[in-house]
Amino acid sequence: MTKLILSVLGHDRPGIIAAVSGILFETGGNIEAVSQTILQTQFSGTFIVSVPDSMAVESLAEKLEAGLHLLGLDVLIRRIEKKEPLPSLLDAEPFVITTQGPDQKGLVARITAIIARHGVNVTNLQAIFKGGDDPENNIMIYEVDIPRSIDRQALNNDLRQKAEELNLTLNIQHRQIFEEMNRI
Amino acid sequence: MLTDREIIATLEMLKNEHLDVRTITLGINLVDCASHDLDRLQRNIRFRVKHLAENLVSVCDRIGDKYGIPVVNKRISVSPIAVVAAPFKPDEMVRVAKTLDEVAAEVGVDFIGGFSALVEKGTARGDRSLIDAIPQALAETERVCASVNVASTRAGINMDAVMLMGKTIRQAASLSADRDGIACAKLCVFANIPQDIPFMAGAYLGIGEADAVINVGVSGPGVVKKAIDRALEADPRLDLGRISEIIKRTAYKVTRVGELIGREVAENLQIRFGVADLSLAPTPNVGDSVGEIFQSLGLTSIGVPGSTAALALLNDAVKKGGAFASSHVGGLSGAFIPVSEDLNIAEAAASGHLSLEKLEALTAVCSVGLDMVAIPGDTTEETLAGIIADEMAIGVINRKTTACRLIPVPGKSAGDSAFFGGLLGQATIIGVNNGRGKDRFLRLGGLVPAPIQSLTN
Repeated sequence: MTKLILSVLGHDRPGIIAAVSGILFETGGNIEAVSQTILQTQFSGTFIVSVPDSMAVESLAEKLEAGLHLLGLDVLIRRIEKKEPLPSLLDAEPFVITTQGPDQKGLVARITAIIARHGVNVTNLQAIFKGGDDPENNIMIYEVDIPRSIDRQALNNDLRQKAEELNLTLNIQHRQIFEEMNRI
Repeated sequence: MLTDREIIATLEMLKNEHLDVRTITLGINLVDCASHDLDRLQRNIRFRVKHLAENLVSVCDRIGDKYGIPVVNKRISVSPIAVVAAPFKPDEMVRVAKTLDEVAAEVGVDFIGGFSALVEKGTARGDRSLIDAIPQALAETERVCASVNVASTRAGINMDAVMLMGKTIRQAASLSADRDGIACAKLCVFANIPQDIPFMAGAYLGIGEADAVINVGVSGPGVVKKAIDRALEADPRLDLGRISEIIKRTAYKVTRVGELIGREVAENLQIRFGVADLSLAPTPNVGDSVGEIFQSLGLTSIGVPGSTAALALLNDAVKKGGAFASSHVGGLSGAFIPVSEDLNIAEAAASGHLSLEKLEALTAVCSVGLDMVAIPGDTTEETLAGIIADEMAIGVINRKTTACRLIPVPGKSAGDSAFFGGLLGQATIIGVNNGRGKDRFLRLGGLVPAPIQSLTN
């Protein structure tokens, strides 16, 4: 079997998943994993699909492009190499970094630059911009895996210093606190 | 993946609602430090406390930082000193108190509790010696807290001890007259004292406990108040059953925080986790008040008719939510109504909505008792004993803990204000009925027999 990753993007409307999965079904592909989300008005979906080795990936791509173009969607396909290793983050702890403060350009870029420099992986990012002048209304939530081997205090210090420059309130908390409080 | 709502709700509690772990209290057994030689006893106590508690503050701060939830107070409770130092005279007991005070300062805790005696059925020599030492010990130390258990459902009320405590409180007040009688703020008189209270001034480590134990006191009156406010704003027609449900859920969340952090601190110190004390403990800050909850529930002020029912609902819901969130519950577990330590309750006392009699009624349905109540300095020993005896009777008959932390403020009268500072706050002095009475009943002495409720076997 060959594994492919597809990314589908476009204006949201009814029937997108039906169209993608219909084409995959007709061509003998099997969906192994899907994640989709709607940001404002835009649909974004990522599919991991396995197809028989005999199938020409190019022809599947053509069918998808043709079928989805009618719905105003773009599609990107890549073959997943069997030997691509997972980032080695097994010995890491999940933390949640939140920033609250005035919206400004380069917020995410400056914070994630520090996160990346310390070798920390972002596993999920949510931005909640409710607009207006109230800084409380602009919240960025970074779920990250922090390797146990790094100096967490140094990361904290760098992040807090940057947050101060950007006039943000920043919190770094172990993920478990949110789970314990909100889930049974 | 966490939802944004889960994360924002938690941040909100931290930022605007004073969510924290109110105290992590390390219980230390000192019974095997006992010696007939005072110097040796002091050395043993110092060594034991330093050995077990030297990392307490740093570990609490580190774990608090990891979860982004502050552990506000780090404290120590010890075995009752009346037992540990039983052979010694009052002046020697004072020296033991000073050792406790010094070692508490060295390990960086703000209070050390356990300058205590258990005399509900009779007063042994060591107990008497400790009680006689209390006024000087509390006036001359900063961090030491004392408690005396004078009654229990099983034993009844030791009225001789009650009278003695009336006298002791007056002496403690007069020895700290220049600071509005602050020594009394570190002294609790109990009925049915639990062995595992993490909160001061009543914390001590019971004789039935292990060598060392970590107990956690959670809090969160601000979180509960805001949860009620939000729910009523969303739906003004909420009835009390549904409000109780909201308090339960909130208490669950707050308790989970304490349980998680307490357990991790215990694990790091390699000391057993004891209990979570599910209490609503206020501080003298706006938004961190139990009194404000009464207003959120639609009462003019704590103390007006309806307050006892409201407190009963609140206390019960806190316990139900908290009990589900914790594996081991203990201590006082309920809402505290310390007058000077709660800005809103202090205001109710000043405005006249809250009287001593109403406070006493409230204590029948909440966790502690007449707590941090400033009364006129000329209140007699007999009347003090009478107030204590009434409070003890409520505890004994209702099989619950009750306590008195009364401060007869030297040289001041009803309506004047007393200032204790810091967490202890400030309050307007409440009038006392028959304040200068010398009623004979209190001097009759003996034991009020254990009530029929004690015959449960």
